Amino acid sequence: MDKNKSKRNNFIFILESFIEKFKIPIIVICAAVLLGIPFMGFSQYLMRIIIMIGIYSMLALGLNLLTGYTGQVSLGHAGFYAIGAYTSALLSLKLGFSFFPAAIGGVLAASICGLLLGLPTLRLKGTYLSIVTLGFGEIVKMVLTNWDKVTNGTLGLKNIPRPVIFGIKLTLANNGLYYMMLALVAIVTVVCVLIIRSKIGRALISIKEDEFAATMMGIKTTKYKILAFVISAAITGLAGAFYSTVIGFIEPNSFTFDVSTLIISVVILGGMGTIRGMFLGALILIAFPEAFRFLMDYRFVVYGLVLVFMMRFRPQGILGWKSQMPYKLPKAVRQQLEKLKTEGVKAQ
Amino acid sequence: MSGLTRNCVARVIIQQLFNGLALGMAYALIAVGYSLVFGILRLINFSHGSIYAFSAHMALLFIGMQFGVIPAIAMSIVLTGLLGVIIDKTALEPLRKKNSIPMAALITTIGMSNIIQNLLMIFFNTERKPFPAFFDFGMIKLGNLQINSTQVVMCIVSLALLILLTLIINKTKLGLSMRATEQNAKAASLMGINTNFIISFTFFMGGASAAIAGALISGYYQIVYPGMGFMVGLKAFAAAVLGGIGVLYGSVVGGLVVGVSESFAATFIGSSYRDSIAFIILILVLILRPTGLFGKKDIKKV
Amino acid sequence: MKRVLTVALALALSVSVLAGCASKPSTTSPATSSAPSAGVIKIAVAGPMTGDNAEYGKGFVNAAKMMADQWNANGGVLGKKIEIVQFDDKNSGEEASSIAQKIISDKDIIGVIGHFASGVCMAAAPTYTENKVIEISPSASHPDYSGIGEYIFRNNTVIDVEAAAALDIAIKDLGKKNIGIISIKTDWGTKTAAIVKDLIAKQASSGAKVVAHEEVMEGSDDYSPAITKLNAAGSDVVICVGMYNLIAPVAKQYKQVNPKIELVGFSNAYSQQLLDLGGKAVEGVRFPVIFFSGSTDPKIKGYVDEYNKRYGSIPSALTSQAYDSTGMLLEAIKAAGSTDRKKVRDALAAIKYDGVTGMTVFNEKRDVQKTFVKVIIKDGKFEAMK
Repeated sequence: MDKNKSKRNNFIFILESFIEKFKIPIIVICAAVLLGIPFMGFSQYLMRIIIMIGIYSMLALGLNLLTGYTGQVSLGHAGFYAIGAYTSALLSLKLGFSFFPAAIGGVLAASICGLLLGLPTLRLKGTYLSIVTLGFGEIVKMVLTNWDKVTNGTLGLKNIPRPVIFGIKLTLANNGLYYMMLALVAIVTVVCVLIIRSKIGRALISIKEDEFAATMMGIKTTKYKILAFVISAAITGLAGAFYSTVIGFIEPNSFTFDVSTLIISVVILGGMGTIRGMFLGALILIAFPEAFRFLMDYRFVVYGLVLVFMMRFRPQGILGWKSQMPYKLPKAVRQQLEKLKTEGVKAQ
Repeated sequence: MSGLTRNCVARVIIQQLFNGLALGMAYALIAVGYSLVFGILRLINFSHGSIYAFSAHMALLFIGMQFGVIPAIAMSIVLTGLLGVIIDKTALEPLRKKNSIPMAALITTIGMSNIIQNLLMIFFNTERKPFPAFFDFGMIKLGNLQINSTQVVMCIVSLALLILLTLIINKTKLGLSMRATEQNAKAASLMGINTNFIISFTFFMGGASAAIAGALISGYYQIVYPGMGFMVGLKAFAAAVLGGIGVLYGSVVGGLVVGVSESFAATFIGSSYRDSIAFIILILVLILRPTGLFGKKDIKKV
Repeated sequence: MKRVLTVALALALSVSVLAGCASKPSTTSPATSSAPSAGVIKIAVAGPMTGDNAEYGKGFVNAAKMMADQWNANGGVLGKKIEIVQFDDKNSGEEASSIAQKIISDKDIIGVIGHFASGVCMAAAPTYTENKVIEISPSASHPDYSGIGEYIFRNNTVIDVEAAAALDIAIKDLGKKNIGIISIKTDWGTKTAAIVKDLIAKQASSGAKVVAHEEVMEGSDDYSPAITKLNAAGSDVVICVGMYNLIAPVAKQYKQVNPKIELVGFSNAYSQQLLDLGGKAVEGVRFPVIFFSGSTDPKIKGYVDEYNKRYGSIPSALTSQAYDSTGMLLEAIKAAGSTDRKKVRDALAAIKYDGVTGMTVFNEKRDVQKTFVKVIIKDGKFEAMK
């Protein structure tokens, strides 16, 4: 009991119970700040970085589902990112799709590739799986580089149209892109939270904790691993589609192995297996090189140092604490328990 | 190839085979470093490509200081080996002590790779620098065929190095300790083996082999620059996994398969496809044989 | 306690990063930037400062700084001091379009010298056009580049002209008919190779033909498979569409197979590194250039000597084109008599500038015509061909 008490007095607990207590005001304040950012007079350049932070939050949320919750390390997410970006850009450039159908096309294409890549998980584990994903990323890049007729090769795709809503073209200048980013990040976050709190989420976490035990408990691990791949790829593809329309120009070199490692770094820095961490991770890693441009040559060295030091001193990530709040049973389980209890009482 | 006679096509194919073998040996040399470290720690050392680039720059630096080519390379081998040990001691050993998740070590090596490569860029600039061709004996003619003597030297030295490494691992007491640590580090340390020393030694060997690879490959292409380790590193890594990572002769076979297929891909499909042929073969092999061609199955204990 | 500290530290870190990020652009936010600061005129130099092509970007900066210092020593321009600000685009289109945003938000910046690769220039150019910032690329040679907008200039010849000059060397000077092409797979390389092929097809009457064309990835170091194919196809002369880092290894690896092969390159291969890297193998390599540092012209000699004194190296062609680009921009500001963007642009479009890369006049497409010097490597030195 004493141990429990000391646990309850620590910082995390105070923080968490504070958030729990003032949940609604905090959400309102955050929303107000986020919605108000465009009115703070930031330059377009800064707005663009903020949008990039949003895109990387999405990418990290996508990878987090696979790596943070299911425990499958992917080193090739730049591949899905590229597939999403290219598919949506091509649909809108060559077939004249408007942004939303084009983005859905990008998401579908990425999901299908996620399914294809997920299938080898039937046989591969751990490091070997990571290697296959790494190879996947490289192959996607090669296809983009060499399939000149469709992807325009190394020249890349230019003048990708901006999304239009109700006849209004969304741009950096009218902050349409920023609000769209907010909406997309919000949707992705909600989807992630819902998945994690559902039966699927619990199955994924059990695979990460102990795949063998999960199989023993009757969880179809293969099915869930592939599902994790597909969802993760879909989210990444969506981020890619949005990226292509924000930047307006994509080339194979925008999707290198470095991008894959950057996404992983965001996940790890923020805190694997948490949702909150993804935003902070993206904020730090995307803003860092921009804020420290004066370091010029040294900024990549510092970037490497950040990774090494994080792993050394806080490998669970900055926000990667275990929740100190008492575990809340999911609603369905709770109802069943109640039922059992009352039935038990009756039986007695 | 339509305009060529059949004889000519055959000659091109044989020529490409030799090109591929030389390239494959280069990959094999680097792949050995991945394999050594993976064998003992189950860790993909992503900094290996940068370590290889580091070694080439060190060799170049010492050559520039008029030490002579061979002493310069010897110094670079020692120094690069030490770099491997330093990486392990400063960044990876603390992680092992804390029993961190495997991904932590992976990310650490990616971070290290970033640091090394960018420091090289700062101190040596990014441009390509010439490296002396210290083992060029001209062309060797075999009837109709021309074989580059540097390619032959590369093959011989690589094979010698790999035999030496295999002997160290299989015949010496140190090698026995390495194998013991590889199978079960805890049990090995209970048996009185200083596993931390063994791991450091493995990193030293990994670094030294990268340095030998660095000297040979730089001498072959006569080019040195900070980014040189990146693509070669990835492909060598693919080669190591292809052959069965953790198995030394697997690295050689993997390296040769990658090298030769790359060379043929360049011939029959186009040079711009060659960079990913390694990964295509890798994925196919892994799907058919999940631990690579010669990889040992990990027995999972419950 | 420890945990409190880490979390607090993390929060502090993220806040400081945000603040660092926000503070700089905020100094140039609309409120302050609408009135340019009085004493200084800024010129941006954008190019790869880190990464594989950093030597080119750094060359741009060196050249621009040297030109700015010379003007500053004479009292600057319009009585103001000239300041060179450098930006690193890592030679990536994405990075460049982000940097373009940054550049246009600083109202003191009149113009941009740079962006190195054609594709990168073209990714950034629309932003400059929209915001009326002059861009002069010392290196872009893609035909479509300058057509992007009124404010987009280049101080480099369009690739067709240079390709014709290179072919001229191969067909007329060397008298070869069986032409092999090896090109790097980049926007510039692919385009140039296509143009070279086109031009050869037009000269089919002379008997010249392409016997083989190999595309290679830039910086792959091992070109032996491509060389084996080119050689088997019977090439007498190989046109190398790439930088020095393509020509030097190709020369080395090709001459081991066929010592009699002739190689023709392009002007962006013209740099000291080609000699350093290629050694004996690049003997006899020829290419057309706009700027030749070995020239006996006293103006060029003075420039080369001063550059060498300052930076300890011989300026390459592209570096010198950046030097002239900076000079032209400053001259245009002087001629316009104000920093009004439109006036400066018009003055630049009408300029006649006699620089180290020859007389420069922009045509209606804001491209330049220059005369080529044919250069050959002889005894480890560049020499003008006779």
